[in-house]
Amino acid sequence: MTSNKRHPSSFRDPSGYIFNKNGVVKRLIKPVYFKQYTSLKETGFFDKLFQNQLLIPHKEERSSATEIVLVPEQIPFITYPYEWSFLQYKEAALLTLKIQKFALEHGYTLKDASAFNVTFHNGQAMFIDTLSFDFYKDNEPWRAYKQFIGHFLGPLLLAHYHGSQSLNLLSNFIDGIPISMLSSMLPFKTRLNPFLYSNVHLLSKFEKKHNDDDHGDFKKQTHLSKKAQLNIVTALYGYIKKLTLSEHSEWGDYYNKTNYSHDAFTSKSSIINKWIKSLEPLTIIDVGGNDGKFIRQIGHNFTQALVCDIDSNAVDFNYKTAKVNHEKNIQPFVLDVLNPTADIGFNNEERASFIKRIKKFNPDVTMALAVIHHMTLTGNIPFNMSAQFFASFSRFLIIEFPTRKDSWVKRLLDVKRDFKDHFGFYDLDNFISGYSEFFEIQDQIPVDNSERIMFLLRRKDA
Amino acid sequence: MHFLYFDPSIGAMIVQAIVAAVAGIVLFSKGLMFKIKSFFGLIRNDEDLFDDIEIKESDIENKQSGDE
Repeated sequence: MTSNKRHPSSFRDPSGYIFNKNGVVKRLIKPVYFKQYTSLKETGFFDKLFQNQLLIPHKEERSSATEIVLVPEQIPFITYPYEWSFLQYKEAALLTLKIQKFALEHGYTLKDASAFNVTFHNGQAMFIDTLSFDFYKDNEPWRAYKQFIGHFLGPLLLAHYHGSQSLNLLSNFIDGIPISMLSSMLPFKTRLNPFLYSNVHLLSKFEKKHNDDDHGDFKKQTHLSKKAQLNIVTALYGYIKKLTLSEHSEWGDYYNKTNYSHDAFTSKSSIINKWIKSLEPLTIIDVGGNDGKFIRQIGHNFTQALVCDIDSNAVDFNYKTAKVNHEKNIQPFVLDVLNPTADIGFNNEERASFIKRIKKFNPDVTMALAVIHHMTLTGNIPFNMSAQFFASFSRFLIIEFPTRKDSWVKRLLDVKRDFKDHFGFYDLDNFISGYSEFFEIQDQIPVDNSERIMFLLRRKDA
Repeated sequence: MHFLYFDPSIGAMIVQAIVAAVAGIVLFSKGLMFKIKSFFGLIRNDEDLFDDIEIKESDIENKQSGDE
């Protein structure tokens, strides 16, 4: 019987749960879902989704009268909706709709449409909740419709009207953005658009109006043909596919407006390449990696590189580049190093923090280029504390230190005005002594034609 | 067998009839505009980052096996 400890996020769906055995993530199916599972398997529905790379592939490990255990393809690093850029979020929404339409056409339906059912794997959005499918019942509306609006259409609309920071809202609303709040946050003109009026404002009204008269017998009152449901799904797809972001990136053209000369860029790249070649890492994280410019300069073959940045637009650009170039080993996501993703959900265990996930991922090398002056001068983080942060998840650290003569550092110091003197500690000696608490210096090379120095550090315990 | 482990909201179930009707009109008018535009040769073939909603695969094969 089941002695496996279920994953703390896997309790909502009674059909089964996820558990971790010796480091391998597995999925257990309970008898209550056997009928659905057998049908999905035998009609070849699962296979079709696998072939089209829409659903995470799995193999059946064992099957008995009491449980079936699946071993899905393992995902090294899960990203959550509040870490996606606009384009990634959009792709996840479109994937969900695509799957729902396909399911309807084959006699099934998605019983939930949570954004947490999707993650990014091999350079694309992938549906990961294998047990989300149920039999379609004739003329039944989509039970996950409201969930789809709260999890996908809502955040995307808010990002469209108020900027990409809105995508972060799901970290507070783990069950989707409340429809009434969404309705009140959208500009008045959205009420004049029949599509938005019906999908958001009218939905909100109906939700309020019928809040009290649900006696569990709604099947009598609700009726929707399959054709009508397909219309909803197809119209949502068409609308979301065309949805864009109307803001410009603060960092989008970073490399065109920094103090980097062409020589400095080449010099920096060659230093990084030299070290990477000697370390031969399989996994890398580039913290503050902007649009992935430096990751793409690396000549070495790695299995996976995570590239995170606070700027959602840079991440967006990075993801677009990876998608166009079919780069399956680059995974961009949004992260604020000054406030990394926290543990959230029930018991604070449902969705793991960035620190927990990155420790598990345990990248061979961390790159922190053009980041330390922002952490120290903008975030007021002392050197030994940022050193501790980097040391907590990786053995090797390639870090760039811009000295006080660097124009960016000067600018950051100048805006401090009267408090400029409080940052007198920002210099090379203090940097080295702060980082020496956790790291040994393996190598240090100044970047040509710049006021910056590159360091290769190795964690002391390693 | 259905698992209502979250509240789909009765209002959200009822409203879908109206949402679907609006969607039907939107899709119909879009289709009509497409036809008019293509008649006048106004359709540009922009490169799309995302596919359309149809899943491209051996659909014929599936239909055949479904018909048996």
